Amino acid sequence: MNDKPSTDWTVDELMVTTLAATLDNDDQACNGMASFIPVCAFQLARLTHAPDLVWLASSIGLDARPERVPASTLEAPLWRDSIMYLEQYSTFWDIVLNGRWLQKFCVGAAQLDRYGNGNNSVIGDVYHRPKVRLPGTAGLGDMGSIGKRLFFWNPNHNPRSFVEKVDFVSCAGWLGGGDERERLGLTGGPELVITNLCVMDFHTETRHMRLKSLHPGVTAEEVQDATGFELLIEDSVVPETVVPTVEQVGLIRDVIDPDGMRLREFGR
Amino acid sequence: MSKEKLTSLAEAIGTVPDGSTVAIQNMATQSAPMASVRELIRQGHTGLEVVALVGGIPIDLMAAAGSMDRFTGAAVSMEQFGLCQAYRNAVESGRIVVQELSETALNARLGAGARNLPFLPTRGMIGTDLIAINPDLVMVPDPFGGPDVVACRALIPDVALVHCHRADRFGNLQMEPTAVWPDIGIMPKAAKHVIATVEEIVDTELLRSNPEKTILPGFMVDAVVEVPFGAHPTSFNPRYGYDTAFHRGWISVSRDPEGISAWMQRYVYEPDTQEEYLERVGGTDRLEALKRWEITE
Repeated sequence: MNDKPSTDWTVDELMVTTLAATLDNDDQACNGMASFIPVCAFQLARLTHAPDLVWLASSIGLDARPERVPASTLEAPLWRDSIMYLEQYSTFWDIVLNGRWLQKFCVGAAQLDRYGNGNNSVIGDVYHRPKVRLPGTAGLGDMGSIGKRLFFWNPNHNPRSFVEKVDFVSCAGWLGGGDERERLGLTGGPELVITNLCVMDFHTETRHMRLKSLHPGVTAEEVQDATGFELLIEDSVVPETVVPTVEQVGLIRDVIDPDGMRLREFGR
Repeated sequence: MSKEKLTSLAEAIGTVPDGSTVAIQNMATQSAPMASVRELIRQGHTGLEVVALVGGIPIDLMAAAGSMDRFTGAAVSMEQFGLCQAYRNAVESGRIVVQELSETALNARLGAGARNLPFLPTRGMIGTDLIAINPDLVMVPDPFGGPDVVACRALIPDVALVHCHRADRFGNLQMEPTAVWPDIGIMPKAAKHVIATVEEIVDTELLRSNPEKTILPGFMVDAVVEVPFGAHPTSFNPRYGYDTAFHRGWISVSRDPEGISAWMQRYVYEPDTQEEYLERVGGTDRLEALKRWEITE
């Protein structure tokens, strides 16, 4: 094992290791469509600090053992060698909705606003005549409202995806900020946003998105320029995101995702 | 004595009324009843409300063909192959109306339909904009004093289209456990009629050797048709993988009306049988590669 900092890490690997660090040994985690970074993070966590993490691959195959990350995160090669198959109506949602299990959920959304509300439904002002019809809420409409701790990932940090106000709330974040979530009786909520530039969290009272750490080589100005709203920056010197170790980089490159499927998420 | 359910695809799909609500088993690139969908398009059905959890290429084909004017479900995407462009165009121009539901909301609507209830509640979607745009979702107080929940009105599709691994001639349907995720748990139980295509028709005796794989009894099924590779180009685990080249081929024409029209001729209107369709898809070599789950670009 080599826990020295890597000197040739790349930003996809940094996103994977940062997301993996949010997972604990007694967690369960699931993934949906086109979720290469979370899948790599679950695998990395399992192979390092969280060996007992139970991964519901594609939300279909429990505790899967794929040979390597395949071209789809929603097809059978991902849920190879599972110990149980889940059926969505009768099993998957019972596990998720119960509240005791699967406390954390990784969210990818086309738009995210300053309070961590997510949009995967429509771009434009008129819902039934949208400028762009996005895929749809899928499980996000549930995950944001049922007490999950939400971890967002976005490999393409730009002002189109980080907006002042989402055009449509398809995943409930901190809503209008402050205690609005609480007043609706909702628990959980957005905790962390991991992008190709930085890591952000949310102010504990205002729930405003806040710069937490900058990836090495990135400045706060660059992040602000890539963000469509005024980001909360509390420290004059923002900490640097912890870089991957030599061991982590080796596992991601050689064992978990040797075909580099995770790179497909970048440049969209 | 059990009733005979064996029929032809043309006859089974011919019973679907225009303007009806058709639920389709699908999960992005997985397990769609594609032969039934092509037959719906061939027969020129229109005005359909299509229900699916996560619709992929079947939704895009029906949108392109003008078969549907309404989509009810949680998402439409072909995952690694991208957004469904024909569907997107139709929604953006107002030709298709979307009733977007979270997954638990769709489950609640279908669950209420299956169990003859006016609605079932969910805790999902609270705080989102999904509730206000949807007349079938209403916030209601918990009669036992807890926080409000979302009542989801019962949804009873006129028809459910499913594709299964095998059935006997009486419509007892079996699926391998690896493929039951996409909608099989509730959707066909909520629908008034079930039309099933299957990879193979077998003797009832064979079903008896694995009763745990039977997912729907014959009395709940109205028609059963043998259609090998009936889910192509979606995957049908474990029997065959998704067809990458075929998905990409569709995407390359799906923004252009002439391209769509030529594609529909070649793959939907001209082939009179499943054998002819499979020949056009690439024949035995391609099908053998799909059975080995090879990615054929």
